Amino acid sequence: MTGQTRQKRRITQGQAAFVLLLPFLATYALFLVYPFLRGIWISLHDWNLLAVAFNPDAKEFVGLRNYERVMWGRNIEWGAVASPLLQGIGAAGVALSVFLRRAGRVSKVTAIALGLASALLFVLPGFHPGEGGRWYDRRFWPTVGNTLVFVGWTVPGVTVAALLIAAALNRETRAMSVYRTLFFLSQILSVTVVTLIWQIMFSPRQGLIANVTEAFGGSPIVWLTDERFAMAAIVITTIWWSLGIAMILFLAGMQDISKDLYEAGALDNATGARAFWYITLPNLKRTITLVIVLQVILQFQVFGQAHLMTQGGPNDTTQVLVRYIYQTAFRDSELGRASAMAVFLFVIMGGFSILQFVLGREDDQ
Amino acid sequence: MNRSYKWLVMALAIPAFLWLVPTLWMVSLSFQPNEVLARTTSTTFFGLIPIPFTAENYAALFAFGQTPMWFLNSLIVAAGMTLGVLIVSTTAGYALARLEFPFKRAITILCLVGLMVPEQAVFIPLYTMFADLGWHNSYHALILPRMAVPIGVFLMLQFFKAIPKDIEEAARLDGVGWLQIFWYVMLPLARPAMMTLAILTFLYAWNDYLWPLVSAQRQEFFTITLGLASIQSNFAQSEGLGRVMASGVIASLPVVVMFLIFQRYVVQAMTVGGTKG
Amino acid sequence: MKHLIIGAAVAATVATGATAQEVTLGRFFGACEDAGTDTKASVGEACIIQSIINAADAELDGITVTTLPTDWGNYYDQIKAAYAGGTPPDVHVMHRHRVPEFAGLGAIADISGDLEAAGIDPSDWSENALAAVSYEGGIYGVPMDFHANLWHVNMDLMAAAGLVEDGKPVLPTSPEELLQHAQMVKDATGQDYLAADFAQFPIGVRLVLALMWQQNANIFDGDTATINNDAAANAVTAMTQLFDAGLANPQLNYADSQQAFLNGEAAILVNGTWVVDFYTAEAAKEEVALDNYYVADFPTLFDTGATWADSHMWAIPASLDGDQRAAAMKVLAFINDHNIDWARTGHMAVRTSVLESAEYAGLPHRDEYTGTAAIARDTPPSERYGAIQDVLNRELQAIWLTGKDVTAALADAEAEVQDLLDR
Repeated sequence: MTGQTRQKRRITQGQAAFVLLLPFLATYALFLVYPFLRGIWISLHDWNLLAVAFNPDAKEFVGLRNYERVMWGRNIEWGAVASPLLQGIGAAGVALSVFLRRAGRVSKVTAIALGLASALLFVLPGFHPGEGGRWYDRRFWPTVGNTLVFVGWTVPGVTVAALLIAAALNRETRAMSVYRTLFFLSQILSVTVVTLIWQIMFSPRQGLIANVTEAFGGSPIVWLTDERFAMAAIVITTIWWSLGIAMILFLAGMQDISKDLYEAGALDNATGARAFWYITLPNLKRTITLVIVLQVILQFQVFGQAHLMTQGGPNDTTQVLVRYIYQTAFRDSELGRASAMAVFLFVIMGGFSILQFVLGREDDQ
Repeated sequence: MNRSYKWLVMALAIPAFLWLVPTLWMVSLSFQPNEVLARTTSTTFFGLIPIPFTAENYAALFAFGQTPMWFLNSLIVAAGMTLGVLIVSTTAGYALARLEFPFKRAITILCLVGLMVPEQAVFIPLYTMFADLGWHNSYHALILPRMAVPIGVFLMLQFFKAIPKDIEEAARLDGVGWLQIFWYVMLPLARPAMMTLAILTFLYAWNDYLWPLVSAQRQEFFTITLGLASIQSNFAQSEGLGRVMASGVIASLPVVVMFLIFQRYVVQAMTVGGTKG
Repeated sequence: MKHLIIGAAVAATVATGATAQEVTLGRFFGACEDAGTDTKASVGEACIIQSIINAADAELDGITVTTLPTDWGNYYDQIKAAYAGGTPPDVHVMHRHRVPEFAGLGAIADISGDLEAAGIDPSDWSENALAAVSYEGGIYGVPMDFHANLWHVNMDLMAAAGLVEDGKPVLPTSPEELLQHAQMVKDATGQDYLAADFAQFPIGVRLVLALMWQQNANIFDGDTATINNDAAANAVTAMTQLFDAGLANPQLNYADSQQAFLNGEAAILVNGTWVVDFYTAEAAKEEVALDNYYVADFPTLFDTGATWADSHMWAIPASLDGDQRAAAMKVLAFINDHNIDWARTGHMAVRTSVLESAEYAGLPHRDEYTGTAAIARDTPPSERYGAIQDVLNRELQAIWLTGKDVTAALADAEAEVQDLLDR
């Protein structure tokens, strides 16, 4: 047995590549490519989870109807001022990208990417049900909106907090490494432990926050069931939970910044906050982009916090996309509809990845 | 400089303490009697100090609890997934970075495209697929789907690309085969990158919730994440708050200890991952 | 050597497999890890059911019972996932309202032919109980209880407000009186009149449903949703008037509302039969503020008496056959035999022999809510029960938690329920 393996057999580079690639390609095809295509196929069917399990023929091909039922409605109209704020931002974005391109401040690709994103922001919120019309699924777009709000608060929250803490801790001393450990610690807790802690923290009756508020004579906030605070509670929990990796990435980025820059800056009286603003930040651009992209992709898929802490409530204010997909599939048994939403999730994430790829390439040039 | 540094250390104590409070509170509650907690959670210093003290919750947990079993499952799943991802990613990463073969560009692009597919977008078809195969409620059902994540390949590809060519060429001149170069030359060099990948994967596996939730219905295959979720429910009156918190502490303690031991490695690993990613 | 060990292990598995049939059991009710096997001593739903299961495991020859996850929130999602994956538990608990969905798809077994062999006598079940497990002429499970919404009363607070007569609480007979009583309690004690989970689980929905039924209305009739009407508006306003006057807090969830009641901060808690023994035990404790505990039928605020009710029942998968099916049936029979022990939770029993027994009548507070059985109601059967409840829960929460206009919320609820009925 052992003698034979010792024998050296020459194989070509191509054969070696094949052998080495095989494990990846096999798992990749089986567990990602195939399920992905199958997901699209399911989304084209009226497919009841239980019915199809008992009778494989119980599914019915319905074409794109699931997409229509989820995303469209009756008498949907489009107006340029249906949602003034978002559409205003979108219009401003289009104008800005045209201006920046004309002024030669950004490259063609960036201008197109920014312009396209802004145009979408101008067009999409303009759709609304007209006279006597309605969305077929009244929960879908609000759910997408909630997810965007969650991402919109969490990502800047994590990024800014992690950046500030990293800047403060960017020294190789014992005290700082202890602090680093403390701030990183929450990152390794599992989502259920995190939600367990914060569910009780936020409780108006047993919660630490309520206890402290009451000790100072305030009346406690009912965080998780008040529509004004439920999303905030989930955002706070998430920032507390996922700050660690971002902080470490920033620390790594900061260590790559040459000490000479700071010494030169010190001569120009740039220390402390000024050094942070004029030296650290500009040199950290790549890391900041990386952290933001990683965070957006991660936070867009939020599920556990909303599922365990608020069950999407009150009144759906914390219902997020992945939880809606899960519910549609496993509570309502409607795999077809759920898959249509999953494809939508993919399109959004894909769009963002491409945007990021385009912007990232430009940075390299 | 020195004085301002001291001030900084002292000023940082406040946010650091606040950051630690939720965790401290969980630990403190787990050491208080359930009868007391049913009435108030802020007996001594807002409940942050466990007086009155009891170890009863932990005793009950070890006598009857399933937490140890769930914990073991998490360990098996996380370790299995980490090992799987390491094998798949290093081999493919090396091949894509250093070897020449037909369709290389196409395969690389295919791999990059996979980066855009979020796992949450494929969990339904994966579920029906595993159901057809009768694979649910097993360790491989929990491990396999996450091995196909191309981010690991991407990370290793980047790393191998950065290694100077002459190391490899010297070995080639000595008549060493491609697979041997991979095994004896490249892998030892890739240790830091592998460590990064291992840590990221392990943390990811440890925290995964949605996939185990739909795949594991039998408690034997519950991970700690899933098990803890199942005892958090509001209707469960028999389990006191202290007991639930004790489960949370037990669930976290081993990873925390592991983190404290490997801490330097973790930070180092992140540093590598950060600059390469 | 290695082969020898594996061989021995396999042999051991086969040997034990031959002597003990493993029956897997799925249930909610929450976890109770140290329940023991004494079915007379345990307290609370989780521990009582687990002690019955443990006893079955210990007493049934050749059968071991393995309890699967006991999670509430994801229970039906997980059961469905298990069925779809071909690995359902051998026996599992479910609600009567789920029968149309599970029996309609052929997931659960018609066990009318297995009952006799297992020693279960369906003629001992009350008429309602038999109806609860029947679907299109077949029997799809073994009923375990009726559970309904009750008014749990703190008699000390009521007495302070002058709302006790002959040792019984004086409960309102109209929405106007409800507001009046609530004000009296507030004036006399400073505490809230009524607490319930209006914020998370659908206890508030069940409350509003009861008030609709009391006006002889329902949320849908055949294929038509009927929510946007006066009856629903009256039912909702009966509650919102309390919130608006600051006499009840809509933001409490299940745990918080229960805590408020036990702490003596609310005179009435609207909750199910499942907590009667638990509150009885709590009220006996020195350190719990609630001392004088009473259980009352859901009062009639409109024309006809009605309260929300449902049934827990046990079913087995249709795919189960042979020895495994016989073993599962034995477990069901064992649970059926311990109907009186389950009734200790506060639930109403399903077997006539138990209902008529002195032991049943002697259970704590049992004589205080004897009227509930007669007024128990539920929405019409539907495959989409869960989704419909969810719609109502969201829209009602929108009314009392986010100040949404009542008519708008009811119109939205009606449109969405109509969508579900049309699907």
